[in-house]
Amino acid sequence: MLTYLLRRCLIGGVTLLLISFVVYGLVRNMPGTPLTVQMGETDPSRRLNPADIERMRKSYGLDKPWPIAYVQWLGRLAQLDLGRSISRKQPVSRLIAERIGATLILSLVSLSLAYLLSIPWGLIATVRSGRLDERCISTALYVLYSFPTYVAALFLQIVFAVRLGWLPLFGMTSDNYASLSFGGKAYDVLLHALMPITCFTYTSLAYYSRFIRANLQEVIRQDYIRTARAKGVHPVVVIMHHAFRNTLIPLVTMIGLTLPGLLGGSVILEQIFTWPGMGRLFFESIGERDYPTIMGLTLMFSVLTLAGQLLADVLYAAVDPRVSYS
Amino acid sequence: MTLPSESTPPPGDAHPIGFWGEAWRQYRKRKLALGALYFVGWLILVAILAPAIAGTKPIVCRYKGHWYFPATAYWNPAWENPVFYADRFRKIYPRNLKDKDPESWAVFPLVYQDPNRRVREGEWPGQPENPTGIDGVPNRWNWFGTNQAGVDVFAQMVHGTKTALLVGFVSMGIAGLIGITVGALAGYLGGVADLLLSRFMEVVMCIPTLVLILALIAILERPTIWHMMAIIGCTGWTTIARLTRAEFLRLREADFVTAAAALGVGRLRIMLRYILPNALAPILVPITFGIASAILIESGLSFLGFGAPPPNPSWGALLNSGRSNLQLWWLVFFPGTAIFLAVLAYNLIGEGLQDATDPKLREAAK
Repeated sequence: MLTYLLRRCLIGGVTLLLISFVVYGLVRNMPGTPLTVQMGETDPSRRLNPADIERMRKSYGLDKPWPIAYVQWLGRLAQLDLGRSISRKQPVSRLIAERIGATLILSLVSLSLAYLLSIPWGLIATVRSGRLDERCISTALYVLYSFPTYVAALFLQIVFAVRLGWLPLFGMTSDNYASLSFGGKAYDVLLHALMPITCFTYTSLAYYSRFIRANLQEVIRQDYIRTARAKGVHPVVVIMHHAFRNTLIPLVTMIGLTLPGLLGGSVILEQIFTWPGMGRLFFESIGERDYPTIMGLTLMFSVLTLAGQLLADVLYAAVDPRVSYS
Repeated sequence: MTLPSESTPPPGDAHPIGFWGEAWRQYRKRKLALGALYFVGWLILVAILAPAIAGTKPIVCRYKGHWYFPATAYWNPAWENPVFYADRFRKIYPRNLKDKDPESWAVFPLVYQDPNRRVREGEWPGQPENPTGIDGVPNRWNWFGTNQAGVDVFAQMVHGTKTALLVGFVSMGIAGLIGITVGALAGYLGGVADLLLSRFMEVVMCIPTLVLILALIAILERPTIWHMMAIIGCTGWTTIARLTRAEFLRLREADFVTAAAALGVGRLRIMLRYILPNALAPILVPITFGIASAILIESGLSFLGFGAPPPNPSWGALLNSGRSNLQLWWLVFFPGTAIFLAVLAYNLIGEGLQDATDPKLREAAK
């Protein structure tokens, strides 16, 4: 097991190097630099003179060809330094720390909701398989699964924010947030988070419940389930004890694969709801050509994706004694 | 789509109609999947016939003793006959045809609306000027309303169908080609080739799709819809490659492959003629799902403002224009529903294909 882990980590390290190299090359070759993009936005009177630009280019290492700048970036990374954001004049690690809370509010709540709702539903759907109510809800979930989140987000905004006026249209807090009491603050964030959480939850809910149901249906066709039924075990016990426990294996491995989504947020949804999370930070940094931030976030996403896959494989071996990596 | 006889395992006795015949028989039993297939067929029809459904140019007209087909200009602007420029039609046909040649006659599209410009008062007898902004609610003349500039939404949606369908087919065609090639090489050759290609897949998979797409779009000076399709295809092939690799790994050990190799059949021929036809069914499923996600990515990109440039009407671009003013609900509702239905249809087809070609699930359905 240990050698397996070591081997996976080594391969993962090489993959990370490759990814960061490719992305660094790509973003450095996008037209425009952080300095020119910023300049276009400010008014002509505040335009930097060429000497200043040259000085800034030097201080941010933009005057060197990108492979050399990449090696320098790697060197700083080895000292656990993600660099400083060019457009925001802050360390990238602090930027990430500032934004990650907002993303976690959405992703943790929606993930727990999705699990809490989809497991019981998966069980019920298996028991009532083929009945009218089950088929209706399953079809509805399937339809929801195909419903693009950004379309759903706009529909929700139109109905609940524009037409009915019950919920705030976008943002995470109201203008008077600072003056609210603690309870008031929590309620304010909850109101703002309601629509984004709905959008995050419904797709994963549809996906997980289909996943659980498909796995359960495969399990209940096994011989040992028939045996358990034949010897007169109570149907509830058959489903919960004999069948569901075995579907936990793929479910557990899936937790690993949700890791990148948990912290990465969603670019489009955070953009629609102007939610100050990671996805929005990422999108803004691409627009601003803020190389250090793009690289920091890409590195984070890639580490999470690879770690998630590794976690999935390790968990798989942990819960299923038939699987071993030694 | 039949299997070449040499790659079929000895046919035995059970399936005289062949694998794909049986798959189609199974597929037809699934009402929803079949309906989805018809829906996509209908969308293809709408995309092809778009200039005849909504447009301001006659489908066919007889003018000064000649036949013309001005509506084909919606497919390719170069096909508009220069005689109409010379006679100063200025894109307005109904009035000018009669004025300049009283003998002329023309067959116009079902709906006199243009996807690229606002229809003005008096262009068509009895039809008022297109309203703009908040007045553009769906009405008798503008079935799906009009956008802020007064351009008809129905016409834009009909003409945008082509974009949505093309994006799906072309980008997944590219992705399929790359994915099958990479996956087949990795799976069949194994060893070092497998290790390298698998790392390559992992790298492409781990790079955030948005960075990859935005960087590639930014590098191109003037991205067209074709560039977008190529880019979506070049970033979306990893699932296909992984599945192909797994199938090739499995089939490489099959008896009929060993037999072929023993007979001295070349490697390329074994891969293309022996293994690929048998691996095709499981690979087709992610391709179908991929079409759905390509449509989602394209409209998502248009939605973020990185889509195809303006002359191409696209559902995502319409949705994006509705986002700036949510009072104009029709700018969100109709394109949003269209994207949803197209994605749903492809997902249903993929699901049906999966059920119909997987013998394990087929047994279960009985």
